[in-house]
Amino acid sequence: MAEPDSRGGPAGRFEDALAELEGIVQRLEKGELPLEESLAAFERGIALVRSLGQRLAEVEQRVEVLLKSEAGKLVLRPLENDEE
Amino acid sequence: MLRAEPAPRILTVTQLAALVREALEGGVGSVWVAGEISNLRRAPSGHVYFTLKDEQSQLDAILFRSGAQALAFRPADGMEVLVYGRVSLYPARGALQLYVDRMEPRGLGALQLAFEQLKARLGAEGLFAAERKRPLPRFPRAVGIVTALGGAVIHDMRTVLRKRWPACRIVVRPVRVQGAGAGREVAEGIEALNRLGGLDVLIVGRGGGSLEDLWAFNEEITARAIAASDIPVVSAVGHEVDFTIADFVADARAPTPTAAAALVVADREEVAAGLARAEAALRRALARRVEAARARVTGLQRALGDPARRVHDLGQRIDDLAARVRRGLLGRLAWERREVTTLAARLARSGPAPGLPRARERLAGAGERLRFALAMGLRHARATVEQAARRLDALSPLACLARGYAIVRRADAAGAVVRDAGTLAAGDAVALVFARGRARARIDATDPEEEP
Repeated sequence: MAEPDSRGGPAGRFEDALAELEGIVQRLEKGELPLEESLAAFERGIALVRSLGQRLAEVEQRVEVLLKSEAGKLVLRPLENDEE
Repeated sequence: MLRAEPAPRILTVTQLAALVREALEGGVGSVWVAGEISNLRRAPSGHVYFTLKDEQSQLDAILFRSGAQALAFRPADGMEVLVYGRVSLYPARGALQLYVDRMEPRGLGALQLAFEQLKARLGAEGLFAAERKRPLPRFPRAVGIVTALGGAVIHDMRTVLRKRWPACRIVVRPVRVQGAGAGREVAEGIEALNRLGGLDVLIVGRGGGSLEDLWAFNEEITARAIAASDIPVVSAVGHEVDFTIADFVADARAPTPTAAAALVVADREEVAAGLARAEAALRRALARRVEAARARVTGLQRALGDPARRVHDLGQRIDDLAARVRRGLLGRLAWERREVTTLAARLARSGPAPGLPRARERLAGAGERLRFALAMGLRHARATVEQAARRLDALSPLACLARGYAIVRRADAAGAVVRDAGTLAAGDAVALVFARGRARARIDATDPEEEP
């Protein structure tokens, strides 16, 4: 599992980043962090929100078919015959 | 027909057996017969031997390996069956046998029976156990689908996946989902997608149909492939009411392929709404935290009082004290001087002879007292001033500097103290005053809104 980078960038799985964000919100809501750490946590949280939101927006669906080639090997082909 | 003296025809046993066999096969032929299975044995060859019986009679029967393999269910003792076959003689043992070509269970349909049997067997093996079920990933990066290509099923699943979570890649392994060998194809499809790697969840399914149509999902080979999959499997056989064996083995079951597609991925809009909520919560929490810090600073400030004002007050008090000391000393001096003058006058008046020595003595005593009073007054005044100076020092900006603060001044001739980042611009030169020494610096950037 890849470590998320310090700016909430695209490293790491979506669910890991989301779990980190949830943890930050909880810690910050408890109000127990020193002010400076609160600020750092807030900045990290906002960076995660941005990066996760971007990941939600950016991608388009990719569909492939796993076919058997003549040599009997399995090969991936894009599936494009089904587009609206 | 002329009856000749009949020479007795002598048959060999083999010839007789062949005659009986012919008579049986010609006279009885192939028949459907109902009965109960007993004494069933499976030979290593794969042939199945059993006795078919009813209340009064019984017949040995054999089901050859090919026929046995074609059965969806497993015949067992006590089972009521309908068999189709021919009666013949097994010459080697002279035994009458029923050669079974087809067999169907009575009561339940054959498929239903096969289903119940396989379900009981795999259940006993623990393949349906809840602790075997693996959780599905919340945000799969890639979904594998084993189903028939073409038709509505794959199209509908794509539509749902694209709408909910377009980020996820889809790999379809097309297979036949009904007909002979479909179970094997589905099983091989599951294995192929496992070998491909990189997939987070599999959907295995097809649209609805009759029990026969769905049969591939009730076959043992399919169930075993699902159980052996390293990737969590969602079964999606379009059959709202009944379960298939695949449903029991799979990590999760969806009633239809589109429901499976919705099950394996999160909804993008819900996640986006969750992100917006998280952002709002972050901002609220930080604002609360900053407000709490600000309130604390204000409270402390109030408790501390304004240091500049205290310095000012103290300075004034020192001025007062100094004035009082001065007044006290001068007053005393004047008084002493008046006393001397009075004494001198009285001395002069009383004449020189008798009073002079006494007057001289008193004069000397007064001078002594005057010096003493002066010395005392000065010492007291010095002590008071020193004490005040020490207290002043404790509150002076220099003491602050000694604790690590620095004063920022403009580096121009006026050297005004900077209290507000807003009065500075990038590139401004400033002078930093430390407890010891000074430094010059240039401003990189300012953030006037930032709280300390």
